[in-house]
Amino acid sequence: MTIEKTKTGTALTLAPEGRLDTVTAPEFEAAIAENAEGVTELSLDFAKLDYISSAGLRVLLSAQKRMNAVGKMTVKNVNETIAEIFEITGFSDILTIG
Amino acid sequence: MPEKSIRDMNRLERQHYSLAARTFRATVMGAILLGLAALVFGLGLYAYALGEQCVAEAFNLSRTTAALMEQTVDVGPLAEEVITRYRALPEERRQEMGTDAYRAAFADITEREDYRYVREFLAAFRETSEVYDIYLAAYDRENCAIVYIADPEEDEAYVCLPGDWESVPEREVNKFLSWDGSGRLYDIGSTEKYGWLATSGVPIKNAEGEEVAFVLADVSLTSIAGRMKSFLLRYAITMFVLVNLVAVFMTRHMKKTLVAPINRIAEAAKEYIRDKQEGKTDIDHFSNLKIATGDEVENLALLMADMEKGLSDYEENLTKITAEKERVGTELALATRIQADMLPNIFPAFPERPDFDVYASMTPAKEVGGDFYDFFLVDDEHLALVMADVSGKGVPAALFMMISKILVQNYAMMGRSPKEVLEAVNAQICANNREEMFVTVWFGILDLTTGTLTAANAGHEYPVLKQPDGDFELIKDKHGFVIGGMEGARYKEYELKLDPGAKLFLYTDGVAEATDSADALFGTARMLETLRAAQNEEPKEILEAVDRAVARFVGDAPQFDDLTMLCMHYIGKEPGNMKDTKEMTVEATVENITAVTDFVNAELERLDCPLKAQMQIDVAIDELFGNIAQYAYHPETGSATVRVEVEKEPLAVVISFIDNGKPYDPLAADDPDVTLSAEERKAGGLGVFLVKKTMDAVSYEYKDGKNILKIKKNI
Repeated sequence: MTIEKTKTGTALTLAPEGRLDTVTAPEFEAAIAENAEGVTELSLDFAKLDYISSAGLRVLLSAQKRMNAVGKMTVKNVNETIAEIFEITGFSDILTIG
Repeated sequence: MPEKSIRDMNRLERQHYSLAARTFRATVMGAILLGLAALVFGLGLYAYALGEQCVAEAFNLSRTTAALMEQTVDVGPLAEEVITRYRALPEERRQEMGTDAYRAAFADITEREDYRYVREFLAAFRETSEVYDIYLAAYDRENCAIVYIADPEEDEAYVCLPGDWESVPEREVNKFLSWDGSGRLYDIGSTEKYGWLATSGVPIKNAEGEEVAFVLADVSLTSIAGRMKSFLLRYAITMFVLVNLVAVFMTRHMKKTLVAPINRIAEAAKEYIRDKQEGKTDIDHFSNLKIATGDEVENLALLMADMEKGLSDYEENLTKITAEKERVGTELALATRIQADMLPNIFPAFPERPDFDVYASMTPAKEVGGDFYDFFLVDDEHLALVMADVSGKGVPAALFMMISKILVQNYAMMGRSPKEVLEAVNAQICANNREEMFVTVWFGILDLTTGTLTAANAGHEYPVLKQPDGDFELIKDKHGFVIGGMEGARYKEYELKLDPGAKLFLYTDGVAEATDSADALFGTARMLETLRAAQNEEPKEILEAVDRAVARFVGDAPQFDDLTMLCMHYIGKEPGNMKDTKEMTVEATVENITAVTDFVNAELERLDCPLKAQMQIDVAIDELFGNIAQYAYHPETGSATVRVEVEKEPLAVVISFIDNGKPYDPLAADDPDVTLSAEERKAGGLGVFLVKKTMDAVSYEYKDGKNILKIKKNI
């Protein structure tokens, strides 16, 4: 999957494209792990993401846990399908969606 | 006339039979005939005139002689003496005429003075004229003889002495002795001694005025014939020269006025034929002839020119007509195609409908025909079926078929029942049916939910029905009158309950009335037999079986009717009969998730599935197929089957995930607590939970060693 990365100081923005599912989730998880060193502000731009499955949710959960310790994480530009998935799974309460 | 054609003749023969040669021969023959006729006539006239002249000369000479003699001498005593002695002779002595003994009786007479005088007198006259002889003689009526008295002839061999006699025809004797003194007295006769002679003369009288003898003059006609011979010779020579001159002139004239123009016409004809064979147009050989003879030949030339022009016009027309015919042919072919395209002919016709299957075919016989079938959904629950046969063939039947088809469909789409549809179509067609065409129609509407078939029959063949537990049987329904046959016709409607699995076969008379080379009909019995043999097949196979049976039956015999059939299989809504099912079986790996997703998405797109539902389904596939890939066969691998089924009313997809792995019911686990904070959360359990929440139904069963997880999503 294509993931667009923008790093400004300690702020990192990752914008994945397509689907965040069983196949792509490991790739996205690796991308976060590679770039998260020293990052205090992680921003996930889902503008180009179609949907997310539980495998993706698992990556988001671990990222959230990690950032909770060192700074903060925000998720933005969430489409309806993904918003609903967040709603159903209670992730809308866990994540900072803006 | 020659026995062979001019084309088979050699040059000499052609010359012989040519017009010039014929003219020459005809002229020569004609002239010769004419000349001969003229000759006969002329020669006759000439001979007659010559004879007349000779006779006249002899007559006049004898008359003059007689008159002068009467004045100078009395011949009475001499004549009487000779006659008396002649008469006194006995019969036998008289027959010795010419002998010395005979002549001795008259010997002294020659010594008489008057005999000598008369003889000299006659000789003098004979000298001065051209008569053969002039002499004195008397006729003996009793013995039909002439008795000579005096003859001036010097030649001893020819002279007639007194008393010599000769037999003469009785005619001559009577003529001379009974002469009344008018006209010329003469007679023409042939004698052995002198040849042809004309004898003319007058009686001479004695001193007492009694007629005692005749002065006779002979003219030889034989000498006249001699003169005519020389005339004939000159005539013949002149004739020959003249005839040839005329014939040559005639032939030349003929050649110029007749033969040459005819040869020019023939030449033109030859060139015309050559040009035609070379495919030239604009030929004007005859038009350029310019023959101005003013006779029949010119007329012939003009007529040939007219014909040439007429032919060229005709050819031009013919080209136009041929082009026109080709155009009509093309349009006819197009019409046939349009007509064929009018009938629904893409099969399967309703791939999205699992509850019925329909197949139809039309095999046209030769030209555009009037058979047609039709089927269409009036609404989601009602399938209309039409089978019809228009009277007649060709374009009229095709046009009529179009109208009928459209009318039936239109009225059916308005929601009318079969009876009402047929009545309305009949009224429409009868309103404007000057050609008095008609169409037989079987029309039925099948309620797909209940299986109730409502139908009406306007003079069409009986439909054939097979219920699932029976054989194909004819439904002897009530026939109404044909459509277009009678205004205000009423049609009866009837209902049949079709059980799921029933098959309905419709056809036109082309099936039952197909004929073999011996004119035997295929017949309804053979049709039913064929249908029953194939009754467990699908509609397409059933129609193909009938088609084959008919083809086998007719062999090479030409067919005049279209072969039109339709078969409908009513499946109904039972789940076991769900037809619209697709499935794929793949190795259960994470890598294959994408393939499975694409497979399902293709089906969803076909159903116009909303994007959101599609994404939820995609997530579900990721969760469920992902679980199978990661856990079902762990640590080995195995295959998994994904089946997509489409349900109608409401439209929904049911996707089954089937694997042969460890029995595992993902639905048995408790739902995760979604109210926990991030730190309290576990990673698992969310997937199945998501599926449960986004799908309309989720079920699991373990059957025959298989985990079967089904999800259903309404779309």
